Amino acid sequence: MNELIYLYCISDSLPDPGFNQGQDEIQVLTFGTLNVFVKYVPKSEFSEENLKKNLADIIWLEGNARNHVKVINQLMLQINVMPFNFGTIYTEEEHLKKFVTEYSEKIIQNFNIIKDKEEWSVKIYCDRKELSEKIDELSEISAELEKQIMASSPGKAFLLRRKKTEMVETEMDRLCKFYGQKYYNAFESVSEITSINNLLPKEYTGRTDTMILNAAFLVFRSNVSEFLKTMNDLKKSDECSGFKLETSGPWPPFSFISIK
Amino acid sequence: MNNNVIDQSKDITILELLDRVLNKGVILTGDIVISVADIDLVYLGVKLLLSSVETMDQLKSGTKKAE
Repeated sequence: MNELIYLYCISDSLPDPGFNQGQDEIQVLTFGTLNVFVKYVPKSEFSEENLKKNLADIIWLEGNARNHVKVINQLMLQINVMPFNFGTIYTEEEHLKKFVTEYSEKIIQNFNIIKDKEEWSVKIYCDRKELSEKIDELSEISAELEKQIMASSPGKAFLLRRKKTEMVETEMDRLCKFYGQKYYNAFESVSEITSINNLLPKEYTGRTDTMILNAAFLVFRSNVSEFLKTMNDLKKSDECSGFKLETSGPWPPFSFISIK
Repeated sequence: MNNNVIDQSKDITILELLDRVLNKGVILTGDIVISVADIDLVYLGVKLLLSSVETMDQLKSGTKKAE
């Protein structure tokens, strides 16, 4: 029996009837001017204890998390939505009503911020090995030192080479900052709000290159083509520099919601 | 017309997905919610999964030496 209320998102409007395209499980609970999109789920899967157990099952988690985003994304094509964190469950409709009523002012304030916008994710990675191989092309100081090395006696060249090894690390740090800022500024100029998120270590990204920027941008729907153009231009211009630009979207505005 | 689907078809990594659905959105409401401690455990699982995928890749490509 499905007796728990699983929350997808909340909206200040309603989509066309038939929005769920055969997915009958999605239902709407209306409290005042706010509509909460929910599904009823069984305790066997979503009770506090069982949810904890299921979280340890990465296949279960991935499937459910993807579905969570998919449903919200579909609704986002028609209406403004505020996504709930995955795994937000109510045992009673009354409790949900209390939350919506109590926070309605804040919820409406959030809608004013996210209205007609969508979230895009930008992550920038740097392959330091690749960057170090191209350092003379990208750094004048490095290129100058290389010239000196080539023109020096073997003894002096050896010392300069050691100096260069140290300098290259500093130059790479500088280039990471420079490119990170360059990309950030470019995307910021076509966005309304930005959010800088924590950098994730390699053990979580599963990549060999290093994350140097993890940011989210809230973009007006009418400005998304401009955002995508910026993305494509940057990808083209810097594809050989050792920096990789990974973008994804549109996302529901997960990173731009603040209720409490 | 929806012209924003360029990246939608691309496979979103599990990391990207969890980064949002577990840590962001309307949080800390609900009779049942996922706690920070639970999220830490999820990430630990992802880490193990990724390291085992890496080990598999190394074994496949023969770069991991037999111990």
